[in-house]
Amino acid sequence: MVSSSISNKRYTYIHESESEANREAIDIHHVIINGSRVTGYARLRWLATFLVALAIIMYFLLGKDNPVRTLSWSCLLSGFFVMIQTRKFVKKESVIIMPTFGIQLETQYLSGKTLSMFIPIGKILKPVLVECVTPVTCYWSLSLFLRGEEQLTLVFKELRPTLKMLVPIWKALCAVIGTDQSEMMTEEEHVVA
Amino acid sequence: MAEPKLRVLMVSDFFFPNFGGVENHIYYLSQCLLNLGHKVVVMTHAYGNRTGVRYMTGGLKVYYVPWRPFAMQNTFPTVYGTLPIVRTILKRERITVVHGHQAFSTLCHEALMHARTMGYRVVFTDHSLYGFADVGSIHMNKVLQFTLADIDQAICVSHTSKENTVLRSGLAPGKVFMIPNAVDTAMFKPADVRPSSDDVITIVVISRLVYRKGADLLVEVIPEVCRLYPNVRFVVGGDGPKHVRLEEMREKHSLQDRVEMLGAVPHSRVRSVLVTGHIFLNSSLTEAFCIAILEAASCGLLTVSTRVGGVLPDDMVVLAEPDPDDMVRAIEKAISILPSINPEEMHNRMKKLYSWQDVAKRTEIVYDRALKCSNRNLLERLSRFLSCGAWAGKVFCMVMIIDYLLWRLLQFLQPDDDVEEAPDINFCN
Repeated sequence: MVSSSISNKRYTYIHESESEANREAIDIHHVIINGSRVTGYARLRWLATFLVALAIIMYFLLGKDNPVRTLSWSCLLSGFFVMIQTRKFVKKESVIIMPTFGIQLETQYLSGKTLSMFIPIGKILKPVLVECVTPVTCYWSLSLFLRGEEQLTLVFKELRPTLKMLVPIWKALCAVIGTDQSEMMTEEEHVVA
Repeated sequence: MAEPKLRVLMVSDFFFPNFGGVENHIYYLSQCLLNLGHKVVVMTHAYGNRTGVRYMTGGLKVYYVPWRPFAMQNTFPTVYGTLPIVRTILKRERITVVHGHQAFSTLCHEALMHARTMGYRVVFTDHSLYGFADVGSIHMNKVLQFTLADIDQAICVSHTSKENTVLRSGLAPGKVFMIPNAVDTAMFKPADVRPSSDDVITIVVISRLVYRKGADLLVEVIPEVCRLYPNVRFVVGGDGPKHVRLEEMREKHSLQDRVEMLGAVPHSRVRSVLVTGHIFLNSSLTEAFCIAILEAASCGLLTVSTRVGGVLPDDMVVLAEPDPDDMVRAIEKAISILPSINPEEMHNRMKKLYSWQDVAKRTEIVYDRALKCSNRNLLERLSRFLSCGAWAGKVFCMVMIIDYLLWRLLQFLQPDDDVEEAPDINFCN
């Protein structure tokens, strides 16, 4: 098992694959949020503190007559809120490339839940690196053109890895689909220190 | 490919797919700068569904930032709203000079302000003339004064425009360069076979039919010329509110067979309309730089024009006051000198006098001068704003201080290293 990794402040990219000679083997690419355990649980603690404070304030403002009922409602609501938030915290996103078969896109959340999506190889027309512009920022994303779909499908739905991490995944996808890379524009990459 | 010498960001609300003089200017200037070996990136607002990054001819990268326009193609002015995206683009593309276009563009003013706060070199080009008296102009001039108080260099497209800009903004004239617009002489060529001027003389008018372009003058001039010269016919291209007046004029004097109204003419068809004529008539009341005259001269037409900015050499144009009688006199003179005009020779002279490559080289000199300007710190820059007015100066200082603080806050939340630099992509020609 050969594995390489690139990491920066926010994300770590890990590439697991069989030895170079075997092209039929499964190729796995992971992008993990750094310190996800630490920041994830820190966020949860912060959220919990805030909600307890909110419950206390609600008690003083509204529930002097019936404190028990107010407190229990607040606890229920805050617990509910915390549960919903946990689902949104992403721990890891992976791309599993199975040559001649298809690719599997997985998103693993902090709560342990994993969402996966399988795309058969015949459905993929082309993987593209796109610059996405929002009203406040601009970032690179890896997307797929799929047969029969009007919209592009994002490979990494929640995370925003850097271009240096996306390029090897893009190249691996191109190799699997059989797109000739030399047909595409030549890139002169500016190497960032 | 060697590292580009300069990395320029052109900012304006006005760019393709919107069509006009400013858009054309930015595009042609960018293409010529790319040919000179620099890197050019354009930033504008989104047009309908066109958002994101697009690449145009020669590798010109255009950012269509998804800020919706609110009035006359201008982005909604939020003063500080565009700071994050401007900072991101400046860092990603490793820009060295920011070049804003058009005083009427809110995105341009905001981007120039943010660029100055972050310490980049800034150049501004003014393309239009504005008044001084009405409420809109007074406010626009105050905003311009604010932006130009802290600029490195400015460019105007004609001497008229330079006077107007200096008066409106109080900028030191020594900082303003005059670089005239150019014309695409490869596109505007005379006809292979010139239409004969023995039987019928054709006078072409192509402009928006609005008050500022002198459409009312046309209503007086056309019937008079048709009465004096039975062998003259007019071709009028363009559309606008004054179209109705021209139609009425045609009906009243029964000139339907002598005045042809073409309606709106797309720019790609302008040349084909121009080459059917012998004389080009421009009746604009005021223009910073009339490119239409250049296009007509490049096609070998003799021009009759009012005294607007950007006038041609004396033997290619007959000037007139914006008065119907004087314009008729000028047309008479033009008809008399028409036989001595050689379209090919006129076209060749235009090629030498007005070329975008020349404009790009002169703009390069302005950029080099801007890069040599010393970078002042915040306190020195604030002192320049104080001279803008009694209370306006203080307001401007507050605005800049808040901008500076917001920039520092952004740097704390998203450090400069976190902004990933975009690779330079070469297009194989």
